[in-house]
Amino acid sequence: CSNHLPALFFFWLGVFLIIMERRGSAVNTPASRPVTRRSKSYGRSCVEAPSYFWQTPGHLAVLKIPNSRGTAKSQTITNKVDPEHIALLVKNEWKLSYITPLHHFRHTRLKSYSKHLSAFIVAEKQQGVAVEVGLEAGFKVTFSAVLGLAENDEDAETVFIQIQSKPVFAAVADAPKVVWRGWLTCVNGDLEYLRSLPPDFVSLPLFCTSGPESLTTLVKSWFERVFDCNFGCLALNSTTLNWLTALWTGCHPTCNIRHLKLAWSLPTQPPLDVSYTVNPQDAWELWNSIHPEESTDDRIDIQEVQSFINGLEAHFFRHFKIFLSAGTLVKVSTALGSAHVDGKIKIGNSDYITTLLTLLTECALLKMPA
Amino acid sequence: MADLSNLAGLGSDPSGEIDSSASSANNRSLRLAEKEKRKGEADPFGLAVKYLSQVEAGTVVRGNDELERNMLVVETVALSKGLPSEVITVLLDLALSLNAGTGNCARVLKFLIPATVVPQEAIVKGVSWLCVGKMPMNAQVLFVRWVLTVFDLIDCKDNLRSIYGFIFSFVTEENLCPFICHLLYLLTMREHGELQPFLTQLLALYKVFRPDLVTLSLPSRVRTGFKNHNSTWKVALSAVQRKNKGAVLVDQSLSLDVKEKPSTRKRVRCHLSIPPLSSAFNSNSNKKVFCLQELRSFRELLENIHNIELPAQMGSLLGSALALHYLDCVQDESASLRLNFWLGHSLQEEFLLCPVDGSSDNTSEACRFLSTILFSQQFLQEGFSSTESFLYKFLSVWDGCLLRPQILDLLSDIPLMPSFYMHKLLFEPLKQLYFTSTVFFKCSIIECLNSMLIKWLTWHSVSALEGGLDISLNSNSTMTMTLSGFMDSVMELVRFVGLLASEGLRLENCHVLLLNQTLAFYETVCDMFLKYSLPLIIMPPAGVFYPALFATDSVSVDRLGYIMYRYRKNLTLAKKQEQQREQTFHISRNTYKEFNRNLQAMVNSMWNSWWCIPGSDIEIDKDLISLSKVAEPWCRFDLIHHPALFSYAIEFHQRCWPERKNVDLGSIKTGKYWNWYMEFLFNQGFDGLNNFIQTNTGHGSGLSSQDDRTKTL
Repeated sequence: CSNHLPALFFFWLGVFLIIMERRGSAVNTPASRPVTRRSKSYGRSCVEAPSYFWQTPGHLAVLKIPNSRGTAKSQTITNKVDPEHIALLVKNEWKLSYITPLHHFRHTRLKSYSKHLSAFIVAEKQQGVAVEVGLEAGFKVTFSAVLGLAENDEDAETVFIQIQSKPVFAAVADAPKVVWRGWLTCVNGDLEYLRSLPPDFVSLPLFCTSGPESLTTLVKSWFERVFDCNFGCLALNSTTLNWLTALWTGCHPTCNIRHLKLAWSLPTQPPLDVSYTVNPQDAWELWNSIHPEESTDDRIDIQEVQSFINGLEAHFFRHFKIFLSAGTLVKVSTALGSAHVDGKIKIGNSDYITTLLTLLTECALLKMPA
Repeated sequence: MADLSNLAGLGSDPSGEIDSSASSANNRSLRLAEKEKRKGEADPFGLAVKYLSQVEAGTVVRGNDELERNMLVVETVALSKGLPSEVITVLLDLALSLNAGTGNCARVLKFLIPATVVPQEAIVKGVSWLCVGKMPMNAQVLFVRWVLTVFDLIDCKDNLRSIYGFIFSFVTEENLCPFICHLLYLLTMREHGELQPFLTQLLALYKVFRPDLVTLSLPSRVRTGFKNHNSTWKVALSAVQRKNKGAVLVDQSLSLDVKEKPSTRKRVRCHLSIPPLSSAFNSNSNKKVFCLQELRSFRELLENIHNIELPAQMGSLLGSALALHYLDCVQDESASLRLNFWLGHSLQEEFLLCPVDGSSDNTSEACRFLSTILFSQQFLQEGFSSTESFLYKFLSVWDGCLLRPQILDLLSDIPLMPSFYMHKLLFEPLKQLYFTSTVFFKCSIIECLNSMLIKWLTWHSVSALEGGLDISLNSNSTMTMTLSGFMDSVMELVRFVGLLASEGLRLENCHVLLLNQTLAFYETVCDMFLKYSLPLIIMPPAGVFYPALFATDSVSVDRLGYIMYRYRKNLTLAKKQEQQREQTFHISRNTYKEFNRNLQAMVNSMWNSWWCIPGSDIEIDKDLISLSKVAEPWCRFDLIHHPALFSYAIEFHQRCWPERKNVDLGSIKTGKYWNWYMEFLFNQGFDGLNNFIQTNTGHGSGLSSQDDRTKTL
């Protein structure tokens, strides 16, 4: 699957860009008689008045992958967010999914969601036996809001879900064990997109999970039934990984990244996996030669990112005579975190969490069905 | 029961004695008895029912021949014609009161086949007999099973629903339980959802109506639901109903199935199932609302249309025709977004993000899914916007092969759009596919674009009729496009097809099928003004016109004749309107010129046997033609020698001069033969050519001579 993604991405990009060029010149011949296209609300046209841009080719351009973004800045997130919550996010490896906007989701009803999801899980586990909502049994689900992660006015607050289970033969004193964790978030979501949603939708496009797949499936299907939303895998393409490589390396002077580990997979027979670890200081010096630290502009351009990666690849070629560019970048990891092409991430340092989540929110929004 | 009837022989029976004494009477009394009997025969059924209604508690049953005889009469009628509703009431009461004994109770229930409907009161009374508790268990079971069988025929169910609690109390009877549950399943409505959860199937329904109260999932193994215990009744009932056809028809085509999700043995990545209908989680249970899965008929939909609640998952609406009726009137913007999110997500995950590996089971699933979307779109006469934007993306990665019929059908549902987008999103990818595919694919593309054009034009003519009505219909989702913008789009589409067709015909050596598909498209194009009141007339390009004019099959030539005839009609009307009312639109001079040139070419070659069209773009060097050594090249394409009509000329010649050895087709042109030939030709069904020749040369069958001047515009 991962091999198909980059190609598709480029194709999307291509379409959007082309259309953007000509947005201003849409057909606008003087009217002799206005013709209205009869349309019911479900049949909104893709080329209609631009209120819903993910359905409007001219506006899809807004969702194109940005060519530049701000440098990663350290911020003491624990000033904004409860440190206990942050601790939960930092510990695990998360599997990423995207979700379409949730219908009728209310942050004020998290308690009742907890009850219903736990009843749902119990019911699914013991097929055929009805479960009365509200009774304690086997699983305990807790929904909680992680306040403070949101960056702009339109971002919905992050929701954290924890599932605890008490083994059947556990002693009374035994504490229930946490078996599954997941959270839905939106950090620096595209403003125009979020504003275009009707008020009864909440967009939390990024869903991170950690725990058995069976529970993930159950949680997803509960969400799908209750909030009429849909989930899909969120794989990270190489452009995203390249961005992370550059952004994290750029942090080295302020926060020791300890190592820059990159993994490539080369399409040879049998496939060749290349693991490439770069001394953090060397990596930073290379990056600094491309994007000088003292430059007044604190934005990074995609070309700079590309030449940084090219530099790393060229260095590898000089030593091993292998073109890494012929393969796919599979994984990036530093002390600040790691990201895998399959859509798995780890957060190493909470101070840079906003940069990472902004990037991932953007990837998730790009997957929204048009 | 068999033992009982054996025993019955031992008992003394007064009515039996009367019978035997009557049979031993003399001849005269015998005749009288006969007469009496015949009188009774006038309505033996009525008498029998009357008798049965008067059977009282404590009547002797064993050996009671009169009872037996009357039973038999009613039984025969019941099984052949069915019983009227009032008789059902009488008999049910007789059976359940046990007045005619336990054996007869079962017997009566077994032949209790309604002819039309079952009165609700009879059932309610039946339930009250059940509460008395006198009936043996098997009779109780039989009664409830009977109710289940005739459930759809009960005239009204409100009283039955009001004794829901009584019926519910029987679930504790072990033997009755499954049937009672089934009955409750049929009776349960939202307001009953407050009751304590008890049994699985019933609970499944509770769950559908009140997902916030009960959480339950059923293993796929036990999802069979309620068994059909009542097949013998069902057979008898359907036989009677078929006989009384039309009297009572349970309309099942519209009813909604409360479907549990299909067996979950599926691929892990499956995005192609339509979710089952169920109530929204947040539904307000205090408000009097009707949920879609409760609807059974179109009438119910109409009566409750103002308080119908949208389902938890909008995608579930696509599962049933009744729900689609409702979707047609939904004005809720969020609802449409939910539907489009779901649909867009399903299509994207299945076809764009996880490319199909070509496994057959997957394709059939995808095919079913797309067909459902198609059905819904055709039902609503409008495409979903998520399908539309999916198609734009999918076209660039489509191999032109996967699910071709469905994709092309979906494509033809694409609504009108500004001409600029058409190029980027539609024409570019289609062009690539078209020129790299077989002639049959080319045909389907042209066909698809033809049906797209027809839909656009139909939309235009409807909206032109309705005037400005649509603007107020839904202000936030009405696209305003100027008439000239609309015409630009249509023009682009027609031009695009013109290009595809002329290049395609060249590449495929004027393939007959492709030519006909192209002409079908131009049949739509030539009538845009008259049929769809769009003041736009576009002539076919030379690459389409000449292949059709010189086609070797008569169908194409005839079609071209029809098309030219319609063009003339449209242009004449346009000209007239322009002169009369000084319309703001006008058809460009060039269009008239183009038409006249085509007309001249056609009339000259077919009618006047001239070759050269002065000032036309097809002047062929004389010397070049003479190289071909064809004799009299100028008349090779007239109505006699045209390759498409040649065989008809030969046949005509043979009929006129059967004795001639040397075929001289030239002789057809002389005198009355020409008129006869015309008549002969038009009798072969060439209406298009007939119309063409009549309007353009003034030649009705046998009206004037052949050297009429072409009537150009």
